[in-house]
Amino acid sequence: MRSRSTSRSTWLWAASIAVYAFLYIPLLIVILYSFNDSKLNAEWVGFTFDWYRKLFHNREMIEAAGNSLGIALVASFCSTVLGTMAGFAMHKYQGKLLQLLVLTPIAIPEILMGVSLLLFFVMLNMTLGLVSITFAHIAFCLGFVAIVVRSRLSGMDESLTEAARDCGATPWQAFRLVTLPLIMPGVIAGALMAFTLSIDDFVITFFTAGANASTLPLQIYSMIKIAVTPEVNAISTLLMGLTLLLIVIASKLSPNVLRS
Amino acid sequence: MKKLLALMLFVAASAQAADEFHLYNWNNYLAPETVTRFEAFCTCKVVQTYYGDNEEMLAKLAAGASGYDMIVPTGNALEPLIKEDFLKPLDKKQLLNLKNINPVYLNTDFDKGNKFSVPYAYTITLLGYNDVKMKELGINVDSWATIFDPAILSKIKGKVTVLDSANELMGAALKYLGYSANDTDEKHWQQAKDVIMKAKPYWAAFNGTSYIKELTVGNIWLAHGYSNDFFQADLDAQQAGRKFHVRYALPKEGAVLALDNMVIPKSAPRPDLALKFMNFMMDGKNAAELTNAIGSGNPNLEAMKTIKPEIAKNTAIFPDKATLAKLEMLKDIDSKKRRIRNRIWTEIRAS
Repeated sequence: MRSRSTSRSTWLWAASIAVYAFLYIPLLIVILYSFNDSKLNAEWVGFTFDWYRKLFHNREMIEAAGNSLGIALVASFCSTVLGTMAGFAMHKYQGKLLQLLVLTPIAIPEILMGVSLLLFFVMLNMTLGLVSITFAHIAFCLGFVAIVVRSRLSGMDESLTEAARDCGATPWQAFRLVTLPLIMPGVIAGALMAFTLSIDDFVITFFTAGANASTLPLQIYSMIKIAVTPEVNAISTLLMGLTLLLIVIASKLSPNVLRS
Repeated sequence: MKKLLALMLFVAASAQAADEFHLYNWNNYLAPETVTRFEAFCTCKVVQTYYGDNEEMLAKLAAGASGYDMIVPTGNALEPLIKEDFLKPLDKKQLLNLKNINPVYLNTDFDKGNKFSVPYAYTITLLGYNDVKMKELGINVDSWATIFDPAILSKIKGKVTVLDSANELMGAALKYLGYSANDTDEKHWQQAKDVIMKAKPYWAAFNGTSYIKELTVGNIWLAHGYSNDFFQADLDAQQAGRKFHVRYALPKEGAVLALDNMVIPKSAPRPDLALKFMNFMMDGKNAAELTNAIGSGNPNLEAMKTIKPEIAKNTAIFPDKATLAKLEMLKDIDSKKRRIRNRIWTEIRAS
């Protein structure tokens, strides 16, 4: 018995190492070559920070990064407010239809959402640009925040708000002073998740971007079409670092989030 | 958080207030120095967004995207734009530098009389190769036979890539057979398909995106691709200290020339800036800057004075009159023909 279970666990170990290697080796190579002193991603020549220096002098890149950050901040803020409300409503009314409507944008293929948003904006005669991208991002981040907040709410003790109401708090006071602080980790985790989703979204942004706004993922895509220089590696490395950092913070704040 | 939001809205609003010129362009298709000078000249800001191929650009516009002041479509993409009445007629009085343009590139079939468009730059689809390897093997790259004739290909099996584009590859095969690249006779298409099928086992890949790198690294010795890309490949190879050059040659049968044009959409918010930019780019010095940076073909006669001599005397970018006559611009084909060609292409790719 014992030997069988150890052999099984070795096998499990081997399989999981292989899976992780498959997932992370390409990323590690991207990072490695961002420090390579050669324009070709072909062989290791020497260590350099040149590509990062070049990156910070590339006006278009900096602008695109600024746009990405701005959109991500506004989109995560708005989708957190709206998503928290949606999560609260879902928890309170338990309606199946309501849940379905909030969660559908998560399940819908991104490309479909991108096309439909593009057609919608055009129908409204809206000029495509920062504003349209931000709206689109709010739309697809909202569902994620709602899920996180709802799962946090379902773990909360109902009697606490009831006690607050018994002590004379208005519904708003009960929400602001009791419920909100309790679900805060979920709200923050949702916000961070929305931020990471927004900052590296490509498909929906591609459809809803217009003449005056490019975001980092769009910029990277257009650079790849010509020739991948290590500048792309450098910016990808930074983006990866930022995303990783936020995911770590999110999982620290609300350990259940990533599992739900 | 609220303060941040307010700050960002403020920044966004103040950025909107400045004069902006929105250029929807190919990536790496305008020298940074030129942008800086134009910004000083027009006291405006140049905002570029990019597309990777004409279809992508046409699709975006067809879906209703607007706000672009200028677009740089290739000739065959110009046709649908004009047909759909999407472009603004040009006020020639403001385009005094039009006189600098080589008449060969004016009055094309796509836009007779240049009512809507003026030439920007061109690329030629030709053959790029590793000079050391080709010399070693004694292959003289001067004909499409080098990528289509199995007798030659057997020496370089697995070291050749061709473009992953029905237009370009069928065009090259038709040229090899002695037809026009725009030939729409189905029998000729079948012959072209046969040529391609016989050569296919010798090719490493259909590759339209990474052959620059493959050539520079040395994995590939011969590629069917664009003149700008081979120029870039050679620059990269020299920078990386490779012991070979990436050279490129115009096949003697002729080739496809893609002329990109500046046009102004009817929906342009600032057609005034677009016209200024057009005239600015037709100035010899500004036009030359693009060629010096990326090795593009240049339709501007004035520009020849400022183009680096090593580029100006490259006959694969600036061919002589006799060769020029053998170059063809691809035309848009109707949807019925397109379906037939797509079927042939699928058969080529799938088998």
